[in-house]
Amino acid sequence: MTFYQEKLNHIKNVCYSNDAQIKAIIDTRHFIDHNFEKDLKLDVLSHIRFTSKYHLQRLFKRYYGLTPRQYLIDKRIEKSKEFLKNGMTVTETCFAVGFESLGSFSKLFKTKTGKSPSKFQKEQVSRSKLDTDF
Amino acid sequence: MKVTLISIPVRDQEKALQFYTEKLGFLIKKDAPLEGGNRWITLVSREWQDGPELLLEPAPNHFEPSKVFQDALMEAGIPYTQFDVDNVDAEYERLCKLDVVFSVKPTEMGTVKFAVFNDTCGNNIQIVETL
Repeated sequence: MTFYQEKLNHIKNVCYSNDAQIKAIIDTRHFIDHNFEKDLKLDVLSHIRFTSKYHLQRLFKRYYGLTPRQYLIDKRIEKSKEFLKNGMTVTETCFAVGFESLGSFSKLFKTKTGKSPSKFQKEQVSRSKLDTDF
Repeated sequence: MKVTLISIPVRDQEKALQFYTEKLGFLIKKDAPLEGGNRWITLVSREWQDGPELLLEPAPNHFEPSKVFQDALMEAGIPYTQFDVDNVDAEYERLCKLDVVFSVKPTEMGTVKFAVFNDTCGNNIQIVETL
């Protein structure tokens, strides 16, 4: 057994031994993945498997390294990029990924990706045109 | 500042280029000649071509500590870096058929599944799937 494998076993025993708890957190992530456009409330999520929303938040962060809220935001940005690439308008995209106001969506999109949704979309379109022109 | 590049030490750039493109499936982004037969070679993911570039750096041939460090990681089985995949089991099967040798078979730990293979250029590389 290599040094790395020994270390892995050690980490598994110390940090990842609670299989039931890990499974519940993985299920939570999958639930977010399939419901990212809904108005997800942590207390609703936590009612399914966990004692409280604080408990869920703590465990999610412990096993994934970020909070469920941060994960949801990243998921929504990832999905909005996909929708914009596929030609959905900025407004449609905003609501399709679960944001309630265009202003907050655009601002967050720019913070996370470095450009506004409309600029991002224009670049995608011109890129695909370039591909066909050359 | 932006993170756009990660480098990986390789003993033979041409051999590395073949392994990383033909077996792992990366695409060449840049390939420019440098002094002494060295090249500036960067690769990108096929499915994320505007993502970060992977630099195949011939450091172990020119800087002894780099070679020592690379050898020590290899000996200990420690991955030099890791790549994300959608499905570790599928990649494991695919790469095994291409004669890639794994030191860690697909293993679940916490919220990830991972495996470790030898890149034949001096490094262990880990592939990871988020569960």
